[in-house]
Amino acid sequence: MNEIRGEAVASFDQVLRRREAQVLRTAFRILGNWADAEDVAQEVFLRLHRRGRVFANDAAAGGWLYRVTVNLCLDRTRSARPSQELPDLASLDRSAEAAVLMEEQKRRLMSALALLPAKERAAVVLREIEGLSTAEVAEALGSSEVTVRSQISKALVRLRGIFNREDV
Amino acid sequence: MNEQEMRELFREMRDEPVPADSLTRVRASVDRRIHERLWMFVWKSAAALVVAGCIVGGFLLLRPGKASQPVRKVSAPEIAQVLPPAEIPALPATPVRPTPRPKRARPRPVEAVPVSIRIETPDPDVVILLVN
Repeated sequence: MNEIRGEAVASFDQVLRRREAQVLRTAFRILGNWADAEDVAQEVFLRLHRRGRVFANDAAAGGWLYRVTVNLCLDRTRSARPSQELPDLASLDRSAEAAVLMEEQKRRLMSALALLPAKERAAVVLREIEGLSTAEVAEALGSSEVTVRSQISKALVRLRGIFNREDV
Repeated sequence: MNEQEMRELFREMRDEPVPADSLTRVRASVDRRIHERLWMFVWKSAAALVVAGCIVGGFLLLRPGKASQPVRKVSAPEIAQVLPPAEIPALPATPVRPTPRPKRARPRPVEAVPVSIRIETPDPDVVILLVN
């Protein structure tokens, strides 16, 4: 019993150390603010501890964590107020300097991302930012690969639209 | 910005560091909540054990009869003394008469009383007489 318990705790600690940044970053990119992302990350790891799960390998742990993170983020976006602490696209300073420009572009992209529907946003975050395969994204979102491809395609079109509108 | 540029920007974001204070807060909060849950479990288990002990103790104390009676010391079983048969003086041999049974009174037959019925006919000379 003690050995099993010890193994489970060690596994939990390992997963926490390795994956906490991934969970927090994903939650932040879907939710758009760090406070909510921290709450989601806590809940994800508490669920992991409560279930006492020991994963066969690192990929399995990653998949499970992505799925739970995305689900919690989607739950939160459903219940959250529409106004969030995301920066306003129009108010962002468009500096001409290259280094600053890159950061500026990233911020604008993140802000544009926040305007997408939650599922499309999650699909883009997992596929384009986290670099998961379409199959892994589909598993995390609980939908088919075709749906994921369609969501990402639509999302990119919308993002381009948002950027073009802002550039005018 | 076209799609390719967007993808490149997304790729740039992939390895962006997470704020260290956020990570620290998450870790601390997870640790705290896990310990809270452990303590809660310990307290709940202890409370459940105490309640179960009280119930069992109360049941044993309030059980009627046997539990409150002092245990009686059991003495060795008493063995009746078996005396050797005493010599009984022989009685003179007398013929034993069976005791007479009381006679049961027999039910007496009811004495038949002679009954005669006289029937007059229209003819004055003819009379029918029924006896018994």
